[in-house]
Amino acid sequence: MAARPTAVRTAGRVLLYVVLLAAAAGIMLPFAWMIISSLKMNNQVFTAPVQWVPDPFRWQNYADIWLKADMVTWLKNTTILSVTVTLLQVLTGSFAAYGFAKMRFPGRDALFLVYLGTIAVPWQSYMIPQFQMISGWGLNNTLLSIVLLQAFGAFGVFLMKQYYESIPDSLCEAARIDGLSEYAIWWRIMVPLSVPAIASLTLITFVNTWNDYLGPLIYLRDRELWTIQLGLKSFIGQYNAEHALIMTGSVLSVLPIALIFLAGQRYFVEGIATTGVKG
Amino acid sequence: MATPVVDQPAAVLPGSALARPRRPGTRLTARNALIGWTFILPNFVGFAVLTLVPVLTLFYLSFTSSNIFGTASWVGLDNYQRLLTDKGFHTALGNTFYYAAVHIPLTIVVSLGLALLLNQKIRGVAFFRTVAFFPYITSIVAIAVVWNMLFSPEYGPINQLLGLFTDGALPGWTVSKDWVMPAVIIVGTWRDMGFYMLLFLAGLQTVPAELHEAARIDGASTWQRFWNVTLPCLRPTMFLVTVMITIASFKVFDLILVMTDGGPGRASLVLSHYIYTKGFVQFEFGYASSVAVVLFGICILVTVVQFVYNKRKEA
Amino acid sequence: MKRTTPIALGTSAALVLALTACGSDGGGAGGAGETAEGPVTISLAGWDFAATPEFQTLADGFMEANPDVTVELKEYPAGNDYDTALTADLAAGTAPDVFIVKNLKNYVTFQAGGTLLDISDVASELDPATGGLEAMAVDGKTYAVPYRQDSWVLYYNKDLFAKAGVTEPDGSWTWDDYEAAAAELTKGIGEQDATGAYLHTWQSTVQGFALAQSGADLEGGDYSFLAPYYERALRMQQEGSTPTFATATTNELTYQAQFGTQKAAMLPMGSWYIATLVAQQASGEADTFEWGIAPIPQADESTTGTDATPVTFGDPTTMGINAGIDEEKVDTAKEFLAYAAGPEGAAALAAIGITPALIDETVESTIFGLDGVPQDDLSKFAYTTHETLPENPVGEKTAAIQTILGEVHTEIMSESTPVDEALATAAERVANEVG
Repeated sequence: MAARPTAVRTAGRVLLYVVLLAAAAGIMLPFAWMIISSLKMNNQVFTAPVQWVPDPFRWQNYADIWLKADMVTWLKNTTILSVTVTLLQVLTGSFAAYGFAKMRFPGRDALFLVYLGTIAVPWQSYMIPQFQMISGWGLNNTLLSIVLLQAFGAFGVFLMKQYYESIPDSLCEAARIDGLSEYAIWWRIMVPLSVPAIASLTLITFVNTWNDYLGPLIYLRDRELWTIQLGLKSFIGQYNAEHALIMTGSVLSVLPIALIFLAGQRYFVEGIATTGVKG
Repeated sequence: MATPVVDQPAAVLPGSALARPRRPGTRLTARNALIGWTFILPNFVGFAVLTLVPVLTLFYLSFTSSNIFGTASWVGLDNYQRLLTDKGFHTALGNTFYYAAVHIPLTIVVSLGLALLLNQKIRGVAFFRTVAFFPYITSIVAIAVVWNMLFSPEYGPINQLLGLFTDGALPGWTVSKDWVMPAVIIVGTWRDMGFYMLLFLAGLQTVPAELHEAARIDGASTWQRFWNVTLPCLRPTMFLVTVMITIASFKVFDLILVMTDGGPGRASLVLSHYIYTKGFVQFEFGYASSVAVVLFGICILVTVVQFVYNKRKEA
Repeated sequence: MKRTTPIALGTSAALVLALTACGSDGGGAGGAGETAEGPVTISLAGWDFAATPEFQTLADGFMEANPDVTVELKEYPAGNDYDTALTADLAAGTAPDVFIVKNLKNYVTFQAGGTLLDISDVASELDPATGGLEAMAVDGKTYAVPYRQDSWVLYYNKDLFAKAGVTEPDGSWTWDDYEAAAAELTKGIGEQDATGAYLHTWQSTVQGFALAQSGADLEGGDYSFLAPYYERALRMQQEGSTPTFATATTNELTYQAQFGTQKAAMLPMGSWYIATLVAQQASGEADTFEWGIAPIPQADESTTGTDATPVTFGDPTTMGINAGIDEEKVDTAKEFLAYAAGPEGAAALAAIGITPALIDETVESTIFGLDGVPQDDLSKFAYTTHETLPENPVGEKTAAIQTILGEVHTEIMSESTPVDEALATAAERVANEVG
């Protein structure tokens, strides 16, 4: 974008930044509220009108959450689950997507619609039959059950398939003429070309597993198996809730994802696919 | 990152994804099917056993009077017949369509706009992208709490701001029957925009820069370039996003559950919520399953329409 | 002035006692083996053990008395999630031997689903005075027994009453007196965010009283008995005697903060809040002020005064045996239930500040012996004397009707729909959807 340094342009830029920063501040408001609440006494979290400055600041919450709760265990379990699920989902998802996007065989579209169809069924309506089945295998109350639950979702296949479709078939054709097997085409051409899609699938799967609540709720009982979301929810008791600690934990649980996102988002600027087709 | 295809002489016309070359001959079909299945199989085995089987069980349950414990008795179409006269179901259905009809276009426009804006080379783009994604990763409880406070009719800043411009009655937002749906739609869009922005951002990387360059040289305006270059290249992503938003909108649940719990009254009761209440609060799992099947039917209908439309454009 | 938390102290003391007494190691081996059964392990479902010590207390107490028995606790999440997770386990056959039927409205479904064992023999040996016991009978058989029962009372802040110059409740109040006092208090306190009363957003804060005090039938199909209670609640929020429902929901106000930090002078709430308030005052989370409990205001004067029995509501929390339990464990499980719902269990629960279903003199003196609990006679009267009717009468249609009435509650309280119209719609909906 060749910049013409005119006054109008500069003014436009400045305006753009003002708007962006204002929007950013607005978007971050709930997060800001989380941080503020995490520094309050429990009975000060919900008030009318809202109290925007904690009085006093209660930094103790950030010590308490490590001392009073099993935050280390929760973090460990959640990390194990998120990493495993993400790896499996990205690997099997992109592999299957190649079959759907670049291979032609009878029944392909129908099968794909079955995949899409299951996305349309709300999980809470079939989670009990699913739980009965997995419990039947003796896998309830294990981390493996959550991996099984999350790793083979249809969404990953769908996302990767759509991305592969935007990569010209002629690339595959040329590779086939060069004698590459389909598996080699997938690994040596499609995977490198689809880095932006893999990046977004990784982020999305990671976040979903990280923040999943209902799955762990149904399957995991032992305290040693709890995830962050289960742990945080345990601050809400029968008659009382540790609202301030919940917000402390929420702030801590969002930070790793934010960092991963900050690091991962650069894969959306490389423009890998476009360099590939530069003729 | 060096890619193995840079030196391919295949001189691809960047739009050629639109014109898929047909492979002649059927003898390859069997071999292709075999290889195709080897690709799909690892995912499909897990998918079929863990998702498809329970979903089929759900279909079966919708024809029974199951309360999830013990044995269920077959009742044929009774559950579906009951849907015809169940006013609670009708309300939920209406609200779900309301939510979908507004939320789908709104979210597509907002998230695509965000993606286009944040696909530019501007300083601090990493920061702004992260910010846009934040609503998606922020605890849903915090989201509900903060938005509810913002919407508070007496103390909320939104109404205080509106009060500066009008002397008339201010909306009651989440505690008003008429305003609760707009309120949850606003929050729904706000929450989802980062997610779909991410998908669009990935898709935008497939739009060749030199096409834009060529169009610019031809004197095309920004709008024309968007309409004639960017959008066609984004078609596969657009299909992904529209299908996902459609399904997600018809299935909307957790946000409404924590924000309004379907209230006031039933003004924001949606299908997924109804299914949950019928199942886990009232233990009518058979009936809840039939609602789920209807929801599935609606989603699949809309998806097939999109699928066929997409195929036609592709051909 | 830092006082130790009596509740927490009671808990840990009970724990230490129990631990030293029986050394709760697995297997329960090494007991004297008085019964012929030999070592038995039964599992018990409970929730949130860190904040809810009652399950550990009951298990420890029982194991102490029966050295060859081990009660193994299985932890579930708190709140409504308990039901969701337990339902999944019951459906898959992986639920523990003994479980809590937490919401009374699910009892019938659990029973009809064949998940509960018939324990009429246990029930018949319990003290008939056990709160809520009678109502548990389904076709003459009992499938779960109440071990704790909270009743709703009126909490009031004596300091704020004095400040506003309003006469404290004396046990003779009807709802009219309550309403008048709330208005007077609001004016008398004269602070911006402080109100005379706080009505929490739950449907039970209006409907629970209406159902209990009007004597109406939940399945009767006519909900006009709710009207006077709603009209009063609306009047009070319009007059500013309570925060409005809109504010309470959108700002997610908590009753602990409203009453505990002196933003409200009166609070109708369940007796579980006694222990919470004592603990929060000790920890500094709640302000330090004098408070008391009074009988909940009555519909008319026929049930007021300390020589009458005030009518209030409260659902018992009950315990049942999983129908899928191993044959040889049934006797032990029944013994455990008899212990938990009987006087020994009641005493153990009272020691940690929990209101058992069976309130006898031991329980009363234990609860009022806890540090920080008000000592006046009216508080003792309010705690011990009441006719407590269930909020969710045992019935097949209860769960579905309560869902509809819950919707009606938010509709009326948010002033979206006028009372009469909303209640008429409720009747229609029940007829249409529940049948």
